[in-house]
Amino acid sequence: MLWVDKYRPRILDKMIVHEEVAQNLKKLVSEQDCPHLLFYGPPGSGKKTLIMALLKEMFGPAAEKVKLEQKAWKIDAGTRTIELELAMLASTHHVELNPSDAGFQDRYIVQEIIKEMAKNRPIDSKGKKGFKVLVLNEVDKLSKEAQHSLRRTMEKYSASCRLILCCSSSSRVTEAVRSRCLNIRVNAPSAEEIVKVLEFIAKKESIQLPPEFAARIAVQSCRSLRRAILSFETCRVQQYPFVMNQAIPPMDWEQYVSEIASDIMKEQSPKRLFQVRGKIYELLVNCIPPEIILKVKLLSELLKKLDAELKHEVCHWAAYYEHRMRLGQKAIFHIEAFIAKFMSIYKEFLIATFG
Amino acid sequence: MAEALAEEKILSRYAVEIDGDCMPVTSPSGDRVYAKMQTWKMGVEGLKKTRTEKIKDGLLSDPISDVIRKLDQDTFSKASLNNRESSSHATQLTVPIASEQLWVEKYAPCSFTELLSDEQTNREVLFWLKQWDSCVFGSQFRATTDDVVSALRHHSSAVQHQKTSDRRSFSVKGITPFSSQYGKPLKALDRHSDKVSSFSELWSKKSLVDPPHEQKVLLLCGPPGLGKTTLAHVAAKHCGYQVIEINASDDRSSSTIESKILGVVQMNSVTVDSKPKCLVIDEIDGALGEGKGAVDVILKMVVSDKKNSGEKEGSCQKSLAEKNPSKKGHKFATLLRPVICICNDLYAPALRPLRQIARVHMFAQPTICRVVNRLKYICHKEGFKTNSIALAALVEYTECDIRSCLNTLQFLNKKKETLHMFDIGSQVVGRKDVSRSCVDIWKEVFQKRKPKREKRSANLLGGNEDLEHMYSLISSRGDYELTMDGIHENLLRLPYHDPMMQKTVRCLDMVAVSDLLHQYIMRTQQMSLYVYQPPVTISISRIVARVEKPNIEWPKSLQRARAMFMERKDILKLWQNKISPIILRHLTFQNFAEDFVSFFLHVLAPPTLRPVALHLLSERERDDLAKLVNTMVCYSVTYKNSKVEHLQGPQNHGATSDIPMLSLDPPIHIFVNFKDYQPVYLELSLAMKQVLVHEVEKKRILLKSLDRSLFASRYRKGSNIDSKIAQNIQKVATAGRDSRPFLFKYNEGFTNAVRRPVKIRELLL
Repeated sequence: MLWVDKYRPRILDKMIVHEEVAQNLKKLVSEQDCPHLLFYGPPGSGKKTLIMALLKEMFGPAAEKVKLEQKAWKIDAGTRTIELELAMLASTHHVELNPSDAGFQDRYIVQEIIKEMAKNRPIDSKGKKGFKVLVLNEVDKLSKEAQHSLRRTMEKYSASCRLILCCSSSSRVTEAVRSRCLNIRVNAPSAEEIVKVLEFIAKKESIQLPPEFAARIAVQSCRSLRRAILSFETCRVQQYPFVMNQAIPPMDWEQYVSEIASDIMKEQSPKRLFQVRGKIYELLVNCIPPEIILKVKLLSELLKKLDAELKHEVCHWAAYYEHRMRLGQKAIFHIEAFIAKFMSIYKEFLIATFG
Repeated sequence: MAEALAEEKILSRYAVEIDGDCMPVTSPSGDRVYAKMQTWKMGVEGLKKTRTEKIKDGLLSDPISDVIRKLDQDTFSKASLNNRESSSHATQLTVPIASEQLWVEKYAPCSFTELLSDEQTNREVLFWLKQWDSCVFGSQFRATTDDVVSALRHHSSAVQHQKTSDRRSFSVKGITPFSSQYGKPLKALDRHSDKVSSFSELWSKKSLVDPPHEQKVLLLCGPPGLGKTTLAHVAAKHCGYQVIEINASDDRSSSTIESKILGVVQMNSVTVDSKPKCLVIDEIDGALGEGKGAVDVILKMVVSDKKNSGEKEGSCQKSLAEKNPSKKGHKFATLLRPVICICNDLYAPALRPLRQIARVHMFAQPTICRVVNRLKYICHKEGFKTNSIALAALVEYTECDIRSCLNTLQFLNKKKETLHMFDIGSQVVGRKDVSRSCVDIWKEVFQKRKPKREKRSANLLGGNEDLEHMYSLISSRGDYELTMDGIHENLLRLPYHDPMMQKTVRCLDMVAVSDLLHQYIMRTQQMSLYVYQPPVTISISRIVARVEKPNIEWPKSLQRARAMFMERKDILKLWQNKISPIILRHLTFQNFAEDFVSFFLHVLAPPTLRPVALHLLSERERDDLAKLVNTMVCYSVTYKNSKVEHLQGPQNHGATSDIPMLSLDPPIHIFVNFKDYQPVYLELSLAMKQVLVHEVEKKRILLKSLDRSLFASRYRKGSNIDSKIAQNIQKVATAGRDSRPFLFKYNEGFTNAVRRPVKIRELLL
């Protein structure tokens, strides 16, 4: 097993990064009850790990015995029947699912399936745990309609069911849903925290980890714990014992984006834009989300090479096009529009400065 | 217009007696006189007068050119073995002016020479049909005999001559009832059609070679009203077929249509004199779901045809030898009769498979003057007053749709109105809701109209007619998403001049706006907002349109990207089903692609591993290997044999491609194989991979057996502690087993206790 999964803390007490949050959660469930919860935070910060540990705290080891189920549902929606298939992880006490997988039909998932599950109160042999937990991932990707129907469900079946929602940005969860939950923010771990985790793993694996190297990994991981641990293991596989100036292998897609960025800087023409389009398609095909491409990587790569006076304007346009991309449907159109805009600005700048 | 006026002083038996221009006139009885020619500006009264006078005098019921045509036809029909009855002339002369019939039907062309469509297309269609002759009639193409050829030459030259001299070139012959030929025996008919078809000598030469008939289906496509159906019918009749038409009004579900098609295409009628059938499937693109039935059946037949083409060829030869065409090919569902499919939109999705196997003929618009001539002739026949400018305007307005022209004219005739060229827009003229194909729209967007035409239309209907035209074009097509995809796809390859990228920015902004609008409409279901889609397209057109002809491609990349995206997702899904849920839960698609895959590939390919026997490895190496195998098992990754895929890497020589390649089993490495990008991760050597495959397999079996024994022991003992002990024992046992290289699988529960020999005799008793 990879270290990411091997050294994932299974109980709240063993949390290294979000110790405080973990302790609070522990107190919260000590009376065998909890409100609806909404975990939010950037990817790789440990939301799911916290949720799993919390479930274990609530239900004991039974929560860990999960199995994957592919369930097909038939939903009667007025005049037609909708057939949906959804993968879910279920134990006796909880169910995890990803309702946004259903795409535009997520509304029915929330309305019917969750309601159905929430209705059935589990019967415990000891008769004390009278509620079931539903873990919904990626709630921020749910459509507005689905979120609205979620809110009714949360109130109506709160006696028999607790919802744990998990998302990366709470701003895309409606106010109504947020106010019905206890919001728990899970920060991205700081570099020091990441180093602490890496040292913990190194100790367990009995590896010599120079602190400078650990710090470098932490910095390069962009505060994502998952990425940090993965790259740590990669370095270990690549070369051990570590040397001082050992290269940390970059992510392939990031490398590709920076290639695209340098392509853009080299030439500004419709023809070049057409080549770039092909490359962006490549990224999108390989499941890299368009927001990440535009905002996180492409913009920062471009900014690196820009003059200070242009940075402000480019950022403005990136935000503008990202907003439109989220409103629209075909991400490629908007990314391309941004690149064209950038090319135009940059070319104008070049001509103004160098004549 | 020249009109021969019969007056006492002008008419004479001798040309000498007339001063000025004269013209020979032959009466029906054969008397020949000369008439003085006078030019008349045709007024309304003048026309009326001449007509009444003409009838009164009974000298000529037809204009002179028609008479010449008749003569021509006479010689022609004599040459073609008198297979035209003399009564044809009589019918021709006494055409009743019956207004009950639709003009469209009344004046539908019945013979090949009368067709309005493009000459080239007509000939090619006919040629295609003739290629069936060897199969259907069992006869080769014949070279035409000399006298016929000469007659034909004469005839065609006459036609040619008339084309230039007389504006009503193709008018007279059509009234000859074609039905008179139907009673003729097959052979004569065949010959006749052969003659007619071989208008040019080149053809008859070509037909001797008898080229292999490759495309078994003919697909005619083009906008409505150009005469596709008419061409199919006329050509088929010409070649001696009986036309069976299946059109949109018939039941076109695939089961009924199959029997129908088979009936037409494979059977021969029992009666001797019946003609072979030719199937015309009209409006094949009409209904998507049901129209597909016909396409499927035809496809099936063509495919089966290709399979046993060799056999069929043989049977063809045989039948040729026996001169008995009716006895062949009933065994397989092959295509033995010509099939002509007609559609409006060549790019309809249902037609995609058909397009590849059929011979496709696009119908071009006939020239305006050709249509106008025909219209003029009809108007004249019906006694409807028009002038050619108005007719030309009408033709242009309806985009050469002769059907709609005729309907309009008939309507106006009924209303006793005249056609004025300035009213065409405002009059009740049936303007069609033409929905053009997407390709046409893209062309229209990217290509500026010819300035000449623009000017003329500006004169006609005001300055922004161009805009209006574009708007109606785009909105009548309706499929804005596809339209925009096409624009997006082709935009950057256009040759517009844009040094500062400003045009590009504006265009792409517009494309994005269209996308936003579409998404908004879909979300809020406010369909009325769709009216804002065409202006977006028009504004793009205003920015980038050039006069040069753009090279337009169908927008595939977006669809392809989508399909590949789904494919990749499916790969991941399949893979995730195999991983244990504890790991799976933290591995969403996004996480996988963003963070996981690059590092995972690195971890899977450590550079320190050496492909040597296990006992030669050092302690640490063995440890590393064990860890790697463990990881691979946990994430259910292995290597498997894959077909040789040509990596474009320069280090791959041709020699290595013969060796079987081992690639990762859930092919996760494709997630970093971007185009024009060399992934950073290391590829293991083949030997190492083989070692790993073996080890992983071993480990898996071990784990499985461990699981099973755990399971069994738990149920046997029932207590927790016991199972733990058992587990420990098992561990020891497996460790012991590890040291030995053999794995033995024992199948429990097999017994042959119930088997005993039984004799038949015992059973019978």
